[in-house]
Amino acid sequence: MKRVLSNKWSIAVFVLPTVLFFTYIVIIPIFKSFYYSLLSEIPAKVGDASEFVWFENYIKMFTPGRRNDFPGAVLNSLTYAALSVFVQLPFSLLLALILSTGIKGESTYRNVFFIPVVISSVVISLLWQRIYKDLVPAIYDLLNIALPKNGFLANKDTKLMAVYIPNLWQFVGYHVLLMYGALKSIPTDVIEAATVDGASAPRMALQIQIPMIKPMLKVCLSFSLIGSFKLFDTPWILLERANKQLPALSMYVEMFSNHKYSYASAQAMFIVFECLAFTMLLNFIFRDREGIESRKGRRRLAA
Amino acid sequence: MKKKLSIGKIVCQVFLILWLLLCLFPLYWLLCFSLKDTQEIFSGNLIGLPTQWLWSNYSNAWNSANISLFLINSVIDTAITLFFTSLLGFMSAYGLLRMRWRGQKAVMTYIMMGMMIPMHAALYPLTETLLPLMGTHAALIIPYTAFNIPITILIISGFITNIPYEMEEAACIDGSGIYRTAFTIILPMMVPAIATAAIFVFLQVWNELLLATVFTTGKVRTLTVGIQQMSGQYQTDYGSMGAALVIATLPTLVLYMCMSGQVQKSLIAGAVKG
Repeated sequence: MKRVLSNKWSIAVFVLPTVLFFTYIVIIPIFKSFYYSLLSEIPAKVGDASEFVWFENYIKMFTPGRRNDFPGAVLNSLTYAALSVFVQLPFSLLLALILSTGIKGESTYRNVFFIPVVISSVVISLLWQRIYKDLVPAIYDLLNIALPKNGFLANKDTKLMAVYIPNLWQFVGYHVLLMYGALKSIPTDVIEAATVDGASAPRMALQIQIPMIKPMLKVCLSFSLIGSFKLFDTPWILLERANKQLPALSMYVEMFSNHKYSYASAQAMFIVFECLAFTMLLNFIFRDREGIESRKGRRRLAA
Repeated sequence: MKKKLSIGKIVCQVFLILWLLLCLFPLYWLLCFSLKDTQEIFSGNLIGLPTQWLWSNYSNAWNSANISLFLINSVIDTAITLFFTSLLGFMSAYGLLRMRWRGQKAVMTYIMMGMMIPMHAALYPLTETLLPLMGTHAALIIPYTAFNIPITILIISGFITNIPYEMEEAACIDGSGIYRTAFTIILPMMVPAIATAAIFVFLQVWNELLLATVFTTGKVRTLTVGIQQMSGQYQTDYGSMGAALVIATLPTLVLYMCMSGQVQKSLIAGAVKG
């Protein structure tokens, strides 16, 4: 039995195709990207020289200039992340808390809130394009308020905000579902005990429910942070071509319109580092405090 | 006391209903304008039901805007991707989590790390790797499969470790080889897990735009790229555009309506992917 389960040949048959395929299509290209990001410019033809310039592309990326505003793009994506964290998530949490009280129609609400999540972001974007171009002006007309110049999607002060709203709207249902599931899995005796002790709903939420669903909140946070950094679909469709105001857009334009492959690779790598950095930050914030303390205690006992 | 409680409940219900309407309204609006003609929209009937139900918008989008071709492409790409992620995902999950060998944890970590890395990072080198395949379905199916293998393994791994080892022992005593055990005994038990993963991957692949923009040309364009390009050409024909959007949404929406519980379960399981 043991021999069968540790037969080298069968292990290779099961695992090796996937590992090789995954390495060839995912891992090697990532390392190649990193290597390219350290070159002066990738040769267009065989024989052209391309120099190894270390981190010059990264330095160039963060030197603000007339034609380069990558720092601005990063800042915009951070603003998006902040909007998700401070507007979308609290709003979703509130909806989830209300739903988890067993209010009438809870499963209907949950199911409907989730509908936008399964729809392609391309469809969502094109739909919101119509909303911004036809519906919003009509509403403004009706209320007799002046629209921003050129409309929300073309006005330089409003367009970034207008582009992010569909995204915020679409994923509320996802967060509600995740948080609702976590809230429902809190043991009922904990909630009952608190109710018997006379805890009010807000106090119950703040002191019992929210602390108990921390692991799920971490999943939601990382989902929305990484989502904001990688965001491509909605702005790609709603903004004018060649817009470089977000990291993924900037990378795409530099890569496929301006053919600056090394420079674009540096931007791609930056997006990866940004995602990894924030994942690590979340791991640090949500580290298992009790685990650390009990380990400290044990150490103290040992000493 | 009792009265105060019911006021709170009413406020909550109103709040929920408002968000419910906000979720449904864009979809209602889309359905309506897919059945109107441009003139009706401009003459003031923005949010009402269409006065004449113009089903011709649908045949228009289906035939002259090539939506049928894009739909078939999306179906082909998604189906083949799902076949390979399920097969490779199951096989490697079995080898990584049921069999016993040194370094299995390290290999598992190696594959899981791939999940944290956004596809953006591999984009340019992949255009070099896949250059010979450009213009075929494989140019999209290969990266879709590779990037969705980690999450498939992760979802299957949650189920596969719960099966008692007695299964393999009994099969072994009865003289069944490892491959037969894996594919005829363990695989049927893994169908729910594989389905959970497959639904998640289906939604990812069906709705994907970035890779599809880069790796498809001409005749192999998928729905997302197709309708995005159509939106430029059909700017004045709102009805056909709306019809195309409805057609593109229908498969996912029907799937969700038929098995909303299962779809929600899949997306909860896949949420860690980010």
